[in-house]
Amino acid sequence: MLLKAEKIVKSFDGFTAVRGADLEVAQGEIIGLIGPNGAGKSTFFNCVAGDMVPSAGRILFDGIDLTRASAEAHARAGIGRTFQVPATFEDMSVLENVMVGAFLRRPHRHEARDHALRIIEMTGLAAQASQRARSLGTPGRKRLEIARVLASEPRLMLLDEALAGLTPAELQDAIGLVRRIHGIGVTLVIVEHIMEVIMTLAERVLVFNQGAVIAHGKPDEIVRNEAVIEAYLGRGHRRRRASS
Amino acid sequence: MAGEGCSRQARLANGGVETLIAMLLLQVIVGGLLLGAIYALFSSGLTLIWGMMNFINFAHGEFVMLGMYVALLVVIWLGGGPGAFGFAAAFALFVLGIAVYLSLIRHVMRGPMLAQILSTFGLALLLRYTAFWIFSANFVSLPQSELSGTLNVAGILMPVPQLVAGLAAIVLTIALHLLLTRTTVGSQLLAVAEDRSAAMLMGIRPDRMQALAWGLAAASAGIAGALMAMSYPWSPSVGETFGLTAFVVVTLGGFGSVPGAMYAGLIIGLIQALSAYWLGPIYKDIVVYALFAALLWLRPQGLMGKA
Amino acid sequence: MKRGALIGLALLLLFYPFIFTGPFYWDIGVTFLLAAISASAWNIVGGYAGQVSVGHSMFFGIGAYVPLLFYQLWRLPPVLGAPAAVVVSLLLAAAIGMPTFRLRGHYFSMATIAIAELIRIFVGTWDLVGAAIGLQGPAVGRAWWDLTFRSELPYYYIFLGVLAVVLYTTVAVARSRFGFYLRAIKADERAARSLGVPVRATKLKALMLSAFFTSIAGSLYSIKTGFIDPESGFGILVSVQMVIIAALGGAGTLFGPLVGALILIPLQTATNTWFGGGGSGFTYILYGGIILILARFEPGGMHELWYRAAPRLLRIRLPRISHAA
Repeated sequence: MLLKAEKIVKSFDGFTAVRGADLEVAQGEIIGLIGPNGAGKSTFFNCVAGDMVPSAGRILFDGIDLTRASAEAHARAGIGRTFQVPATFEDMSVLENVMVGAFLRRPHRHEARDHALRIIEMTGLAAQASQRARSLGTPGRKRLEIARVLASEPRLMLLDEALAGLTPAELQDAIGLVRRIHGIGVTLVIVEHIMEVIMTLAERVLVFNQGAVIAHGKPDEIVRNEAVIEAYLGRGHRRRRASS
Repeated sequence: MAGEGCSRQARLANGGVETLIAMLLLQVIVGGLLLGAIYALFSSGLTLIWGMMNFINFAHGEFVMLGMYVALLVVIWLGGGPGAFGFAAAFALFVLGIAVYLSLIRHVMRGPMLAQILSTFGLALLLRYTAFWIFSANFVSLPQSELSGTLNVAGILMPVPQLVAGLAAIVLTIALHLLLTRTTVGSQLLAVAEDRSAAMLMGIRPDRMQALAWGLAAASAGIAGALMAMSYPWSPSVGETFGLTAFVVVTLGGFGSVPGAMYAGLIIGLIQALSAYWLGPIYKDIVVYALFAALLWLRPQGLMGKA
Repeated sequence: MKRGALIGLALLLLFYPFIFTGPFYWDIGVTFLLAAISASAWNIVGGYAGQVSVGHSMFFGIGAYVPLLFYQLWRLPPVLGAPAAVVVSLLLAAAIGMPTFRLRGHYFSMATIAIAELIRIFVGTWDLVGAAIGLQGPAVGRAWWDLTFRSELPYYYIFLGVLAVVLYTTVAVARSRFGFYLRAIKADERAARSLGVPVRATKLKALMLSAFFTSIAGSLYSIKTGFIDPESGFGILVSVQMVIIAALGGAGTLFGPLVGALILIPLQTATNTWFGGGGSGFTYILYGGIILILARFEPGGMHELWYRAAPRLLRIRLPRISHAA
């Protein structure tokens, strides 16, 4: 078991965003994380990534307890993440952005640079390597974020709505990229709203609602799950279906 | 028998001296608290901004200094009394605060940290040295008003202007706190401080609230200046000292906490007065800044702030 | 083209005293170099790392006082005090950085100004270091190592050498992992963290490196002038000048501090001459105004302005300096 998040609870000043969520990810899996807005997915995500410290629960990565560890420590241990709103280093070039990621495992600039160039090639950003991140559009920035974190050679990558806002062609491209990343051995946890991505890529899906995991299974099982439908469409829908 | 009488007399004489020292100490304490109340008043404005926008106004001390000069001008040109110049200082600085927010702060908040820091820092320099240029570096004070003389309360001598200023400052600080916690406008201000996006979803306009906060903060600085002008001489150089004092008070009280600023202001005023009394006047600022350095290390979130 | 410009600049600086001869121009040259050194030192932590210190005079002042103290107490050549000053400055940098880099927002900036003031006032009351009067160096040099030259020329070349070292260090840093991490922190601290950047340690290193060079600048100043007092060592205007010069030219760029010094030092000399003694007040009104305008309209300084305006004016595209290459 690569990642084990047990009974994670996160409260802010009296409001509990995550009330006891569990997640187990084995090496090499692709897990999907879905749920309505405000369900606690992002907060849970942030806890796993080390951005926030859980109020209760444990996070074990490869046997190491990372519950109270800093975000930097999470990254060094091998957990990488992207951000829902792209957080690229605007005034640095694409290459420089990716090099920051590469420097984690390769302290020397030439190695970092060469590795970054390989990653840029793999992620299809070669044409924009010397452009400033600021000049890329949102899809470019999202791709850059993926390249940047990929350069840090994570064992587990957490993608936070990395495929949102893309045209159909760009989406297929991006799905291909995620597959390639999976292909080189990276374990993935993907938060998404786009069902096509989840159905195509995820081997298992967790459904969040109101701070807890309400369903867990294969994508086609989840889609038919009553509780999940209720979570997205509301209780009335269930009653209407029953009476029809 | 004679020995006993002598020692009793000696004891009485010593008791007299001790009482005198105690009275003097009490006077120093009261004086410190009264000044501390004024510190509390202008520091509440600074902490309000910090709590709301995670932004330090480096020109806050200059706002106090300007309040003092507004008071002077009102007295000299219009012959107004404390009520008039107090109100004038509050109003003038309220307008200035909002103007500074709209023309400057609103823009730099969206930009790099360097721009944010430089903005109010540059403003402070501009205000300070323009004041030097207009008013010269000489110390000035307000002419005597009807609030003069000294009250004797149980042996403690309190100059009337300082007493009135201190009490007014306490009242105004409490009023600010009540404004924030008991009125609709106040809760809107606090909502923006708490969670900007949530406040927007509730229909509150963060921009307006922030402008208002700047107006209130500047006004509290201005009126504190006017109150201080009643008892102390000043020059344009005081802005720098007040600004730093406000930093220390806000750090001690906790970022964003107006009640914290009140307690901290009183404490700082007290510490300053006692340092001047025990160590000498030159040490009064050193002790306060040394306290700040200690806070940095031991408890940067202050008495009542969140880390 | 870039290499040519660099060589041209180096030659200009090298031969300046022979192009513009005489004490007046040499004095401006020395003042320019000192300002460029201080601002470049500040630039490391304030420009590249984005941690804006407005109390950097504390390091400058320590650098200025300790050498003269070595002379005052033990009659040693002041230059021997420079390394000791560096050690004190580094300790101070660590003492300030460690608690404040834990906290977000403007806390660090506020702390720097408060501590600088604390030191200034304290030094003004401490008799050992001359209290309000300050310290003096050797009036007449006992030997060459007292570094009391009557002409400005030797100072010019010593300062030029130090400037070269500072600039070289800045380039080396910018191209290294440390430099990339600094810029990442400045751009987006949270994202930097998520990539394993040790944020606190990196900021601390930057502050200490900056303090190192600022202290040296202070030592150069007091060794040359032979005099220091609380105001000229620890005054707020010392801090302000460093910041405004770096920001005006372009904080976070290699040549920003030089460009800033090139603009500001002649300007300062001019306004001081026009307005005389009382004009020092006006100089600072000007400084305040410049800082305000920079902050509001062009925080990137001349550097940013140039890169935005030049393509339109000269109708060429300028390649940006990339540290990746």
